[in-house]
Amino acid sequence: MKLLLVEDDQALATALGQALRDAEWVVEHAASGQGADFLLNTESYDAVILDLGLPDGDGTRWLSEWREAAIDLPVLILTARERWADKAAGFSAGADDYVTKPFETAEVLFRLRALVRRSHGHAHPVLRVGELAYDTHTHHVTLAGRPIALTAQECRLLGYLMHAAPRVVSRSELAEHVYDRDHEPDSNVIDVQVSRLRRKLGVTRIATLRGQGYRLVEGEAP
Amino acid sequence: MSRLSRASIATRLLLASLLLILLALPLSGVALAYHFRLSVTEAFDERLDALLKVVLASVAYDPLEQVLQFDSTLGDPRFEQVFSGWYWQVSDGDSQVVTSRSLWDQRLPVTDQRQISVRDERGPRDSRLRVIERDIRLAGIDAPLHVSVALERDELDAEIRRFEQLLAAALLGLGVLLLLALAAQIRWGLAPLRRMRGNLQRVEAGDIERLDTALPAELAQLAGAMNAVLDRDRRLIERSRHTAGNLAHALKTPLSVLRLKVASLPKETREPLLIELARIDAAVRHHLARASAAGDSGWLGSVKVAETLAPLLDGLTRLAQRRGLVLESDIPASLALSMEAQDLQELVGNLLDNALRWAERRVTLRIACDADQHRLQVSDDGPGMSTEQRSEALMRGSRLDERRSGSGLGLSIVADLVALYGGQLALKQASPHGLRVEVTLPATPHAIRDPR
Repeated sequence: MKLLLVEDDQALATALGQALRDAEWVVEHAASGQGADFLLNTESYDAVILDLGLPDGDGTRWLSEWREAAIDLPVLILTARERWADKAAGFSAGADDYVTKPFETAEVLFRLRALVRRSHGHAHPVLRVGELAYDTHTHHVTLAGRPIALTAQECRLLGYLMHAAPRVVSRSELAEHVYDRDHEPDSNVIDVQVSRLRRKLGVTRIATLRGQGYRLVEGEAP
Repeated sequence: MSRLSRASIATRLLLASLLLILLALPLSGVALAYHFRLSVTEAFDERLDALLKVVLASVAYDPLEQVLQFDSTLGDPRFEQVFSGWYWQVSDGDSQVVTSRSLWDQRLPVTDQRQISVRDERGPRDSRLRVIERDIRLAGIDAPLHVSVALERDELDAEIRRFEQLLAAALLGLGVLLLLALAAQIRWGLAPLRRMRGNLQRVEAGDIERLDTALPAELAQLAGAMNAVLDRDRRLIERSRHTAGNLAHALKTPLSVLRLKVASLPKETREPLLIELARIDAAVRHHLARASAAGDSGWLGSVKVAETLAPLLDGLTRLAQRRGLVLESDIPASLALSMEAQDLQELVGNLLDNALRWAERRVTLRIACDADQHRLQVSDDGPGMSTEQRSEALMRGSRLDERRSGSGLGLSIVADLVALYGGQLALKQASPHGLRVEVTLPATPHAIRDPR
């Protein structure tokens, strides 16, 4: 899952970015509304963490602009203001959730996961495709109740496919959401990783649709 | 002296006028009485003088008989009644004496007097007389004749006494009347001051923001000056509140950074640092709350609910839409609550936030008022809570679900606020499923705001 962190305080951006990366997020950072605006219009993200006190205007103003431009991804507002009048202004601008500083990293992560899950239309924190289950909080993967050990990268890949299921996910979409902008691999690398996943989960669980991409399949095909 | 200098203005004015009355009224009384006595006595003496002239004209000396003769009767019969108080006498100071019959065997004392003399004497039966006497000479008599007319003073004295009594009563009445009138005048005159004091008390209590300047000119200026001071105070409070708020907010970002950095340390160093960070955080929150409470010292008693919640509901409705939910609210347009606006927003905001996290389709906010209490209901159609979970959630500060940390905290804030306003918080089963939070607030809450 790829996230845009919009925060002008360099120390906070670094520390929070690290905490998010540790939790398997792909994080990109913008220090201003202008920078965020550019990234949102060129890249695709799964969520945005938006600080309200930006050097080039209030965060709610930028958010309103993005919403008007039909940029519809979940936005979590991060701010020092904790009065409900301020929160309501954030929601009016189109925020999806709200965390006040100083925050618990766990809370930010929890809310982010819930936002991303909901934006993909999943209500429950454990995503299921057939016998395959993916816990969005712990990143544990089980197949018919049996735990499956995955590397961090495999986990991110499967996580994205699980969120998107039963939609078909193209290679480029997968690359964009699972890798850092600066480390986007060529499609071969993705193919290799998908085939590793297939070995651990069973070959037929990830179907390749020629020219379109990958899709998780319910149940073992005969 | 110091006691006097601290006496109220009303007491001062009253004391001053009392002194004036006590001094002026007796003085004028004495002067009036003196003049009255003088003029009444003069009139009395003129009567005596007239009678004396008649007596003088009626006295004759018979040289043959060598006796004094009195050959006329004075008009008044009282000269004939014994000891009537009306007397005349003609004497040569020796053997020759003629008197009115009323004098009987008594004689009036005489003096040697060229001129007319008027004086007070003791008369028959110890009566007090006013005597007029003139000495004349008649042919045939060597010695001068003392001619006297006397009238008892009683009549005169009675008249003077009557007047003095009347005067005293009148002056006393006047004094009392003046005092009453002055007291009323002082009361009336100082009424604007009292009104201003009442006004000031209401400003202090926060019922109104400024003093009413519809006052007499002298006080209007004073009230205007006080309003200027109040405005300056408000600006100062506002500024220091902003400063405190900005400081507290500015601290939150570095605090967040510290928390994040500390989180990656080994456990034994992390724990004590986290405790200290929590303390700093608590201090920041505390002072932020105090700063905003100071700004709300002019708590205006009650807030219009619909108006106060409008921006909140606006934001949360948008949020609900983004989550594919419906937020319904039913608030009587005219409903007012005796609650601080921010507290009301906090209460409703947290309840709706919780409900929106759990709901499947619909969240409903309903506020209604009975005779003596206001009822606020927030229901969702989510999974709801078991009886056990509900009672656990109501325990103060407890977090229902650590993973859903935000919601647990929200409910404990709600519980604090409800307790602050003397209300009650109940969690119930919504039908067919979901949670219904019911808050009952007394219509006249006994909120004690400070310190939070």
